[in-house]
Amino acid sequence: MDIVRIQDVPIDVNEGIAAIIDERAGGEAIFLGTVRNVFEGRASRGLFYEAYRDLAEKEMKRIEEELKREFDVLHVVMVHRIGELALGEIAVMVAVSAAHRHQAIRACEAGIDRIKSRVPIWKKERWADGKTAWHDDPEAGAGQMR
Amino acid sequence: MAEITVLFFSYAADRMNGRQHRYTIEPGTTIGDLYRQEMEERLQQPVAAFMFSVNAEWAAPSQILHDGDEVAVIPPVSGG
Repeated sequence: MDIVRIQDVPIDVNEGIAAIIDERAGGEAIFLGTVRNVFEGRASRGLFYEAYRDLAEKEMKRIEEELKREFDVLHVVMVHRIGELALGEIAVMVAVSAAHRHQAIRACEAGIDRIKSRVPIWKKERWADGKTAWHDDPEAGAGQMR
Repeated sequence: MAEITVLFFSYAADRMNGRQHRYTIEPGTTIGDLYRQEMEERLQQPVAAFMFSVNAEWAAPSQILHDGDEVAVIPPVSGG
């Protein structure tokens, strides 16, 4: 089965694996994006994510259809979490299954790349010193952040 | 006259002091017109710095707005 969802509760990796398992598949690829303790050389204590949920889920659904068409994958899972995330928590999961490993790995990479470039979701860095800044805010002194 | 709602996200919401504003517009007003009239000064960036949607579908700045439309001002995305 396929899952495309924005959610504010922790991501369950096992749910993603269960969704993509298929007897026709010979390979499954899973990408997890997690919250890192440093960004651009500065210590961070977490991230806040927000989404324009209606359009974000619509755009993720389009990406799912592209992956199926372009990479011949069997199942696609794309789940993005929003809200406050602590270091080490999973912000995004992309999981796909295909007949062969190359299809699965390429589709998984394309999936996360397209989410990052097209889906209306934004992250705010919560710096260890207590300050915060939206990524790509031209006035945050970190316009190159990405 | 038409009544529309505009949603703001990320740093655009901070600069507009809110995530949602309502505007009354003249017939024939485009997204770009509305942006230049009501938002450009506060957001301090040209219209090309943002993407837009109308009723949760991508829209060009040249799109004409209608009564009841829900517009979103979409800064560069940073999910993942």
